[in-house]
Amino acid sequence: MARILDLTSLMGAYGTRLLAELGHDVLRIESLKGDSVRQEAPVLGGAPSPEAGAFHQFLNAGKRSAAIDLATEGGRKLLLALIAKADAAVVSLPLPLAEEKLLAANPDLVLARLDDGPPELCAYASAGLLAITGEPDGKPTMLGGHVPCAAVGVHVALATAAALFGKEASGKGQVVDVSAPQCLASLAEQVWVEYSASGEMMERLGSRGGITAVAGALPCADGHWMISVPPDPRGWANFVQLVPHPAFKDDGSLADEAMRRERKQEILDCIAEWSRQQKKNEIVEQAQSLHIPAAAVTNPLELIDDPQLLARGFLKPIDHPDFGRINFPVGALASMFQQAMSIAPTLGESTALILDELGYSVSEIHRLKDEGTVA
Amino acid sequence: MTGDRPLPLSGIRVLDFGHIVAGPFCVRLLADLGADVIKVETATRQGRTGARRGQRPGGTNGRTPHLYHINRNRRSIDLNLKTERGLAIARRLIDKADVLVENFSSGVMERLGIGYGTLAKANPGLVYASMASFGQSGPRQGWTGMNVTLQACSGLMLATGAENDPPIGISNSWNDYIGGLHAAVAIVGALSKRRQTGKGCHLDVSQFEASVAMIGSLLFASAVTRRPPARLGGRSSTAAPQGCYRCAGEDQWCAISVQSDAQWQKLRALLGRDMRYDTLADRFAHHDAIDTAIEAWTGKLSPQEVERQLGEAGVPAASMRRANEIAATEEWRQVLRPLKEHGESGPKVIGLPFTFRGSAPREATEAPRMGASGNEALRDWLGLDEPAIAELMREEAV
Repeated sequence: MARILDLTSLMGAYGTRLLAELGHDVLRIESLKGDSVRQEAPVLGGAPSPEAGAFHQFLNAGKRSAAIDLATEGGRKLLLALIAKADAAVVSLPLPLAEEKLLAANPDLVLARLDDGPPELCAYASAGLLAITGEPDGKPTMLGGHVPCAAVGVHVALATAAALFGKEASGKGQVVDVSAPQCLASLAEQVWVEYSASGEMMERLGSRGGITAVAGALPCADGHWMISVPPDPRGWANFVQLVPHPAFKDDGSLADEAMRRERKQEILDCIAEWSRQQKKNEIVEQAQSLHIPAAAVTNPLELIDDPQLLARGFLKPIDHPDFGRINFPVGALASMFQQAMSIAPTLGESTALILDELGYSVSEIHRLKDEGTVA
Repeated sequence: MTGDRPLPLSGIRVLDFGHIVAGPFCVRLLADLGADVIKVETATRQGRTGARRGQRPGGTNGRTPHLYHINRNRRSIDLNLKTERGLAIARRLIDKADVLVENFSSGVMERLGIGYGTLAKANPGLVYASMASFGQSGPRQGWTGMNVTLQACSGLMLATGAENDPPIGISNSWNDYIGGLHAAVAIVGALSKRRQTGKGCHLDVSQFEASVAMIGSLLFASAVTRRPPARLGGRSSTAAPQGCYRCAGEDQWCAISVQSDAQWQKLRALLGRDMRYDTLADRFAHHDAIDTAIEAWTGKLSPQEVERQLGEAGVPAASMRRANEIAATEEWRQVLRPLKEHGESGPKVIGLPFTFRGSAPREATEAPRMGASGNEALRDWLGLDEPAIAELMREEAV
């Protein structure tokens, strides 16, 4: 598998995680104080500060860490030595060294350059995604949990993995330019297609979705459930079995999706009246047994014990040295490739080992540490 | 970007058994990376027209606008997989394929007789990607999922919005894209592994898991704290102030994200208020008061004017662009591509948001009418001549 150097910000860090999930050896190069991903909240109790960030713990899992001060001559020399032995480098702009120098050190390098663009929220607004996220009469918002950054990251992984595949065939590396603003714009495709095809502008729908007439997150006794009533008459018939509201049973005209679209709000109100008395997981089980797409609206806390995620190995119980026994999110690809994912590295955990691999002597390593080039 | 170096997946043959958005979008990514794609469709299942269906029928080449865009850069063969002949032709194509992508419910491909287990015997190098909502195993294996339900159960809707907001999603087929992207990464990874081992594999992608992975950090946090993470709305945990601010006009907004003390001083000067909050800690502590002050200023201006003034001051800001405003931005100019059939003045489609230096991007070709390029596909992949194809298709039609 390939050796990959990771010098990305939050925008790219999920991408290099996915490369680790594919089985590549990913080495994260950090400053002596640790990279910016480590600063992202939530910061968890129980671990020293550079190790306590939840984003660091998830996004840097499966990677190694070397702490190198790239502002020093010795640090830059070290980076070039690492580049010379790497198959790929994934770097958020600006590059730490001129591109020519990096490629001179390794002409066959796959160099993925990520233009982070403006801050996440601003890029999200420009792309056209902000206009379709939020309650219709409320404030627009962006997808939380830095999901827009992760969406950029998946593109980074795809671009880099593809260039590595190309290199395996030709022996030649390639420079790949990834633009975060373009990644987010491309994900707003439907906004543009809808408008260019019909002049209609997609808008914020809260939790409603735009496909079936009767869809949305509705209240239950213990939270919310999401329903999307299938548009065909049989789907409606099944649905009336699930939600035996008198208003539905006695009104044959509602078997027609167009009619349901017209009377959407009234129908949703009736469903809510019924579901307020129900528990979300129970009605969702019933709905699924009737082939109706329904789901519990869940938060991350509920997901951490999710039976589906545990059964398929997406979550794995581990004993974490700082946090104790937890269900660790291994990842969507790692579980598929049965790739063991090590927990996120401590800052500079592999610095000495990496230097040793490069042929530095013990005394040279001590000297680099003493003069503040590495940590 | 120009150049004559082939795109990375040039020469890779992909069969698309996908429908609606997730599968065909994954395949489109592979096509844009250079792969040669044949879409296997069945005229008898034409009702599955997919995203935002029910709004308008028709469209170009028999496809709705969304699916016309999703299904570009591939050929289409019409095969009824419920006939022996149709299945036999499909199997001959599969034997020549490097990659197969399908996003049926778990078990459908097996029932059609083209599950991975059967196919791998004849074509052990095949990378076979399944993309069922919840995957091919586990207690929810047979569950039905759609974009909105997957946004709900993957945690996305409660990771979005502010505390006490109802669940909030995104109005497009977000989850299909995320599933398709993860599947594409897995496929390229599996092709690399195949180069070493000679063996393909069955990629059991779960769209649910792809979406959950996007908030993996919040899961990690909850695993430790045993509390749901805070819902931040548009705020940041590392920069303040940040948010969407109401501007003059109906439902007009501007996003602002102050990244440094210096940027705050610039914004403060524009607000013309007597308040300091020189440090980040101060600004976090008084975020509500700052937001009120910012809206008192933005409320009198158009979002474009807010963006312009802050842009001049070096403070990151972007107006909330709607469909009619996006195409003018630099990022949109870069991703919009002409279609080969219609030229620069025709409809524009969305290309890859990244480029390979020395390789020209794949030229975009429009989604074919169902079955329109079946003969061409059979000729290229199976090496059949016209009479042989005519005979094959005659029997299939019967």
